[in-house]
Amino acid sequence: MAEKGQVDIEHLGGVIRLREEHEKVVKDCESRIQHWKKVSGDYEALNDRLKTLPDQLSYDIMVPFGPLAFMPGKLVHTNEVTVLLGDNWFTKCSAKQAQKIVDHRMKYVKNELDGLSKTIKDFEARVGFAKNLETISASKGDYVDIREEVGNNDSVVTKGKQRMAHKPNSKPKQDVFFDFKEEDEENEEESRDSGSRKCIMTEEELWARLDELEKLEELQDEQDKLSDNGDMNGEDTSSSSSEEEKDADAATPVNGLSLKPGWSALPSSTAPLRQDRKEEEDFEEEEEANCLPTIYFSHTVEPKKVRINTGKNTTLKFSERKEQKEHSKRKKKNGHSNGHAHHELHKITTPADLYRLFVDVKNGEPIPRKSILKSRSRENSVCSDTSESSAADFEERRIMGRSFSHDEATHSDTSDGITEEDSPTAVLLQPPSRFEAFSGTVIEKDPMPSAVPHLTISPPALPTILEKKQEEVAPDVAPPQQAPKRVSKFKAARLQQK
Amino acid sequence: MAEAIQKKLKVEVEKYAQMQKEVSKSMSARQKLETQLTENNIVKEELDLLDCSNTVYKLIGPVLVKQDLDEAKATVAKRLEYINGEIQRYETLLKDMEKKSEQHREVLSSLQQEFQKAQGLAVGKV
Repeated sequence: MAEKGQVDIEHLGGVIRLREEHEKVVKDCESRIQHWKKVSGDYEALNDRLKTLPDQLSYDIMVPFGPLAFMPGKLVHTNEVTVLLGDNWFTKCSAKQAQKIVDHRMKYVKNELDGLSKTIKDFEARVGFAKNLETISASKGDYVDIREEVGNNDSVVTKGKQRMAHKPNSKPKQDVFFDFKEEDEENEEESRDSGSRKCIMTEEELWARLDELEKLEELQDEQDKLSDNGDMNGEDTSSSSSEEEKDADAATPVNGLSLKPGWSALPSSTAPLRQDRKEEEDFEEEEEANCLPTIYFSHTVEPKKVRINTGKNTTLKFSERKEQKEHSKRKKKNGHSNGHAHHELHKITTPADLYRLFVDVKNGEPIPRKSILKSRSRENSVCSDTSESSAADFEERRIMGRSFSHDEATHSDTSDGITEEDSPTAVLLQPPSRFEAFSGTVIEKDPMPSAVPHLTISPPALPTILEKKQEEVAPDVAPPQQAPKRVSKFKAARLQQK
Repeated sequence: MAEAIQKKLKVEVEKYAQMQKEVSKSMSARQKLETQLTENNIVKEELDLLDCSNTVYKLIGPVLVKQDLDEAKATVAKRLEYINGEIQRYETLLKDMEKKSEQHREVLSSLQQEFQKAQGLAVGKV
């Protein structure tokens, strides 16, 4: 209140001053008006004089002689008037003309008077307002200043919900496409480490979903064919396909390394089974699930991801690959040499497991069945070439993987490391498995094909599948690929069976 | 410190006072011109009222000099134009002067603040 009082006082002072100023103006105007009124009076008198002056030819007057004396004299030429026009200009004119001039001047004076009167009225009004303000400020009068402070709107009650800006939903599909990058991979890795797969899932969800469905279908087919084909490739293909699809968006390497998180995400989205499997794998510390695509979920710190051109269109993260390789290797070694992680095999939680379990044993090595849908198309595609290149990389990775394994493997057993070294073939499979869920069953007959991401259990199939995963960048690509694959895979499967 | 500022302040105040004087001079000159303008306007109008029969005189010093009506009219018109031009000139001049005075005012206020601070410091020290 004190403050308000002060404010009032200030206001009061200001208002008083304002009022005083206004009053000054009013006074000034009044004086001017007085002046002009006088002038007007003079002119009136002059006018009258001019009227009467020509009545007589001459007048007897007392002429002022200096300030103190008068002299008798005569006023002649009564009609001749010398008029001062202004600015040292004179004119001789008759009385009537003079009158005209006087009238003209009178107009001017009148104008001036009118203006002044307006001004004075205006200022008088202002003065009155200032007086009122003064009384208000002084709280003398009956007027009360009403103030309403604008408070926070927190307490504002709004009917219904307040509108909230909807955050743009990141469509998984699209996010998947673009988000699948190293960053995401890294995130995935991190998430893997943390065990949180959700972040990845969102991105890969869509893909995972697609893969899920695909795999389910494949699984169905595979199951039907299991008896016939006994292909492990199916698993690979399914897994690989799923991986491909998923990974396509996310840098393929991600798939490899990101298998951890990626897998966690992918499987979760694609098929609950998968996810479980992966989760198990993750928790198992050796991201096993590698029976199918080698998903090495290394909880250990992921090595820096390096993009490796594993093939024509595939790039793997080096570190990831290594890990995957190692894991796959280890697991392979731990598991059956057939390429299945037996211990894992026995668990069938995801469709991929099936592929894992049912492996065609060929030449003493289990050859993972490929999903019909996937294998063949890959063969025909450019991916097939990747097998060779990937093989080279694979070798590299294998070596590195081993080194890595020593470093990273928190959960990797030493035996794994050994196993890795022992079975090159297994190793070979593993790196490829990184890209794809399928790993175990892929026991390649020859290193080269196996080098290709495990996709190449049946050389044609694996590379194709792997490539697909790696290459695919846009999810859009995946679906169409799948469609043609299906056809080819069927054929391929049949061919294989034969 | 305070004394130095005080001196500066004085100097600035003087400058500002001068500026103000100049401004007021210009203002008064302009006002004169304004009155002349109105006067000449009236003269012009009144000359228009007259006809050739009336002789027109111009007061030059103590002498009334006969003038031709037309000449008178022309002269008055020229004078009017001259006055208008002068008014314009004075207006621009006034604006410039106003700006300068504003600057001076700012300088003055800043100096005043410094001075007050210095005074405050001095007082504090004391």
